[in-house]
Formats: sequence, structure tokens, C-alpha cells
Amino acid sequence: MVAGEAFRRLSPPAALQSRYHGSMWGWILLAIFFAWAVRRLFFGYSEPEGNMRVLAPREVAFLDAAADAMFPAGSEIPLSGREANLPGYVDGWLVLLPGRQRLLIRALILLVEQATLFFPAPGPSFRRFSSLDPGSREACLRAWSSSRLGVRRLVFTALRAVLTMGYLGHPEVLRHVGLAPYAIATPVLPADLMYPRAGCHPSTNPLTPADLTRPSDGTPLALDGPLHPDYAGEGS
Amino acid sequence: MSIHHSAERGGSIRVFAEYDRDFHEEADVVVVGSGPCGAVSAYELARAGHRVILLEEGPPLTVADFEVDASRSMARTMREGGLRTTGGSVLSTMQAICLGGGSVVNSAICPRPPDFVFERWSSRFDLEKTTRANLDPHFDAVQDFLGIGPTPEDVQGPRNLLFRDGCEKLGYSSEPMPRNVRGCRGSGECFTGCRSHAKQSMDITYIPEAIDLGARVFTSVQVQRLRSNGSRVLGVEGEVVEPFSGRRSHRFRVDARFVVLAAGCMATPVLLQHSDGLANSSGQVGRNLQFHPGVAVAGIFPEPTQPQFGATQGYQSVHFLQEGFKLETLWAPPPVLAVRTPGSGRELQARFSEMARIAVWDAIVTADRSLGTVKARWRSLDPALRWNLDPVDVQTMAKALFTLSEIFFAAGAEKIMTGVRGLADEMHSLEEAEPLRSRTFPPSAMATGGNHVFCTTRMHGDARHGVVDEFGRCHDLDNLYIADTGIFPQCTSVNPMFTGMALARRQAHQVAERL
Repeated sequence: MVAGEAFRRLSPPAALQSRYHGSMWGWILLAIFFAWAVRRLFFGYSEPEGNMRVLAPREVAFLDAAADAMFPAGSEIPLSGREANLPGYVDGWLVLLPGRQRLLIRALILLVEQATLFFPAPGPSFRRFSSLDPGSREACLRAWSSSRLGVRRLVFTALRAVLTMGYLGHPEVLRHVGLAPYAIATPVLPADLMYPRAGCHPSTNPLTPADLTRPSDGTPLALDGPLHPDYAGEGS
Repeated sequence: MSIHHSAERGGSIRVFAEYDRDFHEEADVVVVGSGPCGAVSAYELARAGHRVILLEEGPPLTVADFEVDASRSMARTMREGGLRTTGGSVLSTMQAICLGGGSVVNSAICPRPPDFVFERWSSRFDLEKTTRANLDPHFDAVQDFLGIGPTPEDVQGPRNLLFRDGCEKLGYSSEPMPRNVRGCRGSGECFTGCRSHAKQSMDITYIPEAIDLGARVFTSVQVQRLRSNGSRVLGVEGEVVEPFSGRRSHRFRVDARFVVLAAGCMATPVLLQHSDGLANSSGQVGRNLQFHPGVAVAGIFPEPTQPQFGATQGYQSVHFLQEGFKLETLWAPPPVLAVRTPGSGRELQARFSEMARIAVWDAIVTADRSLGTVKARWRSLDPALRWNLDPVDVQTMAKALFTLSEIFFAAGAEKIMTGVRGLADEMHSLEEAEPLRSRTFPPSAMATGGNHVFCTTRMHGDARHGVVDEFGRCHDLDNLYIADTGIFPQCTSVNPMFTGMALARRQAHQVAERL
């Protein structure tokens, strides 16, 4: 009896109990949402081929998918976006970027990958961009490019710019479109004796006054001349 | 130029790998920034026999450091990786970070502004001694030094000559672009650094000559603050930064009788703001930001244009300068040009496949109604830019785009792409471009970029309305000068590098007299 009275005194009143149960359900729902968000954001991505220095597997998956949609196989250019290894290119570029800009590019990738939640792909499908089928990805990109929202179009333009830099920077694509750079013999000027390569000690500069050459005489480049070694390809 | 002379006269250059401790230097003049204006200042002051220190945050770049790949090149040679944009009306803009500054990666364009630009400056900003006649001796001297002259016909290439042909058919004047180039071979690679060493950028011209005359150049040093004492500056201080990574190592201080800020229109105001708001009794530091916003049209011709050959920007037309725009031919690495190509998927790839028949021509617009601000970011020397494109200037852009479209079709283009939202992605006749003349466009319809930046520390005869006088001397501080395009009171209507160098030369002579 005494114990029962004490228990009743210690138990919270009914209103409080109901609030307690309410908030408990709130916490459970929040935990479920959190688990779902974590799963959507981070899980279900396979390990990429090749070592990436900056990009996470989820970002590699997105870039592969976006490259495929932006530059599909079977076009007039014999190399698709996937074959051009755009994730590898973007990873190498991000290494060179300052921290703030690197963060912005990664935020761009995250945004388009997850934005199917708010702008569903045709179907409609709320799956992540990289999980969509190729047709839906292409439709999804078209929707971004033609959106009435200026910000959405801007995001698309930024994504297309990132992918285009890598795709048209690929030696095989550049050769195919006839825009690969030429090989150029560089004259050695007095200033070249003063500067080592960026970041190196002056003692590493191998040039001496004996290496000086005449400056460029303005002979136009020959249109059938050799290509830059990085762009020449096999057999050139 | 002789390496031996420089050693005898005390001239030298230091690079990142040579700094092993904090350091303190003294000089008659310290020049901050080695771009075109700073390089001219350092050279002229060294030539006058003064002890000069030139400071540059970036490293010297050799041809072996140049990257032909566009994004890698921008990441290494441009601040913020080449991804700088304005808030407000979105405009992409760039600022170089290397010895020689923008002159290493620009198209070497050097026109003199017409008289009406200086007349406008004089009458509106109380600048009595800044006339074309006053500046012509300085233009002449820089022109001789850098070999500025018209682009030769044999390195123009088809995409430049088609512009000339189109202008001729329409009766618009045009001329070969005046450039600071000797021995151009037409590689079209100005943007990523000239592998022919033909471009007379500061790192191979003024700066080695300044070293030869005794100037000491410190690269990879970031000036973070000016030190001052009442009405005089005492010098500058900052940190050594590693090339490309920006990692900081040692601290440095330079004391000098005079300080010349030539850090660029977007960096000089930030430096002043970080220095307890120095030189800002007028309230004009960081205000009045102006650009020459650029718009471009790409045209596809029936025959190959061999666009990878030819001077980067070999032809221009100043026919419409009084109406607010200048027309130019343009080339850049293909990925950069293609960034605005409309579409996606196979449609986009098909357009890329046509690039061997492409020509791209642009217009830079005198947008002096469109103003903005430069503000220091918290704990950063990167500027926060805000800029708003005025509707009147948008209409000038539309008119410029229509004129370019006219020239394209007169030159025989099959189709053109203007990048204007609300118009067809591709147009096959001038009639389709007619809305550019008849319709009103919102600022957001235009795809713009702009690397000519002005006015953030403008000159004015009245100290209440400007930061510096017409010789670039700060109204508030007797021994602080500014020598970059920030001192322009308004935009120049033509490419600004040459004008900046002429003003810097005149200013250096005044500083030399006062020393």
C-alpha cells in the first residue's frame, strides 16, 4: 500500500506521459529518417576502379552516370563520356583546386545526385540520379537545362561545364574533332635562365647561357605539323 | 639584358624553395603585384636608380609549367582555380596568380583608348592632366619596349580573317589587333601561356630588365597587410605561400619609403580593408566596381576554319565604340569555348563534332551603369564580389550580339549560337536573330564573362569622391600609390592593360622624382 502510493507519487501525470510518448515517437521517426538519409547519401555505392584522391565512391558513381547521360556512346564522337574516364579527370582537377572551390564542386555533385527527391525523374522516380536508367538520366538532365528556375539552369550549366572540360580535354576526343594542339619548339630566352620550374630550387634549372636560342621568328605553325606529344596518340 | 649586370647591381629573384626563415627587407619602394602595372612601376623605378623590391604571390612559370589542358591550367594560374564569379548578376571573372600576372595568360591586346574616353574622365572626375596627349609619351614608351604592333596577316588564320571579310561586306571598319607580341606563330594558346615565348608578357620583358637594373623580386609571398603610422605607410607584411597549394610557411616584412599597390582591381581594395580600412576617408575603396562584360557568338561555317591555328584574338572592330561596344575575334582552349554550347547528350556531341568549322567572336561592352562592390571575406584575401547588370547595358549587349550575328552571316556562316536565353539555340538566318534588336531581355538572359575590371580605388581630383589623385597617389596617405586598373575612374571601352601600363609609367616617374 505504502509502496503503491509512493509509485503513484513518483509517476508523471497522464498529460506528461502522453507528451513523453509523443516525443518518443518523434525521436523514433527522426531516427528512421536519419537512417534513411544516411543510407541514401552514403550506402549502396560500389568501390570505384582506380584510386581517387578526392572523390568518394558516391561521387564517382554520379560522375560516371552523368558522363554517360551527357556524352552517351554511339554518337558522332567515338568516345563516350564513361570511356573518357571523367571521374578520374575531375579527381585530378579537384586536387589542384583551393579548398573552397573544391567544396563547391563536390556540393554540386551532391545536389544533382540527390535532387531527384525534389525534382523526380520521369516515372516519377525518386531514386538517386546514379541509380536511374540511362533514358531517365538523360531526361533528368534535359529537365535541369530547360527549367524555368534560373538557379536550376545555372546548376546544369555548371555541371555541363565540369564534364565538358574533361570530355573535350581528352586527347582522343580533341583529335577526333580536329582541335588537338600542335607540338611547338620553345626558344630559350635570357629569362629562362632566371626561373626554375614552379616550386623547385634554382639549382635545378638545367639551362645555361650556352642553351640560349634565337627568339621566335614568327613562322606560322604548319597545319600538317606534329601534334603535342600528350595529344598525338599511337602511331602519330 | 645581362645576368651579370643584375648581380653587380644587386638585382635578384627569390623563389619558394629558397625561403628557410622569416625575413625582413628594406627598400626605397616596395611594389605589390607583378602584373603589367606593377612590372612597369618596378622597372621604371629601378631604371631611375632606386632600391626596388617587387613582391608577387604566385611563382614564376616556365614553359614546362604551362598546362595545355584548360582546367588544369586555370587551376594553377588563376586565383580561386579560375572559378571566381560575382554575386548579384552572375558573371565569371578571373585573376592570374603568377609572376607577370595577367600578362602571362591574356591575349596581349593593347589598343589605346580614343580621345572621348579621356575627355569623359577629365570632365566628370576633375582630372586635368589625364588626357590622351598627356599620356601618349607613356603609351609610346611602353609600345616600343614591348613591340606592340598589328597582328601580321600570315598568322591570322581563317577564323580571324572571316571576321574581317564580314565587316568589309557590311561596311564596318576593322583592323588587325594591336598586341604586345614578337614572332607570333599562331598557336592560339595565349590563354594557357605562350609556348613560343612570342607573347611579351611581363615575366620575360619588364621583370628581367628590372632585375638587371637592380630590382629584387620576391615570388611566392602573399602581402596581407600594410603597416602605417598616421598619414604615412611604413611598409607591408605577410607570409610566404607555397605555389599551387597555398600552404603558408614563413613570415616577412618589407619596410619602404614608398609603397605602390598593384595587386589588381579585385585585390587592392581587400588589402586596404584588411589594413584597418586604410585610405578610405572618401568611402570609395571597394565601390564603383565595373567590368567590360563580354558576350560572344559562335558561328559554324560550311568549310573548315582550322580554328586551332591563328592568333588568339587577331582582329577587332572599334566601329561601334561610341555606341558602347567593341568587337573582337576570340579563341580559347576548346573545352572553355564549348562550355556554353547548348544542349546535352548526342545533340551536344554533334555540336562538338562541328568545332573544326567554328569561329567565335565576342563583344566587350562599355557597361558603366552596371556597378558593384569588392569586400574582404572574413580571414581571406579572396574578394567577395557583388555586381548588378543594368537593364540599359543589357540592351547594348543585345545590340552587340545582333551586330556579331550580322557579321557572321555576311561572312558566310551556316548557323550561329548566341547563348541568349529565350532565343533559339541555333539560328540559321539573320531574321531569326532579329529579336536581339527588337526585344527587351532581362539581365539573366545573357551569358556573360568579364576579365576587364575597374574603378574600385578610383582616381578623382576631389579627395571626397576618389581614393587616389590622377597620379595614383592616395589622397589620405602621402607615400602610398595605387597602380592598377582600380584607379580608372570609369571603364576604358577598350582592353585596359595598355592604359594601366601608361598610367603606371607616368606615376613611377612622379614617385622617382619625390624619392
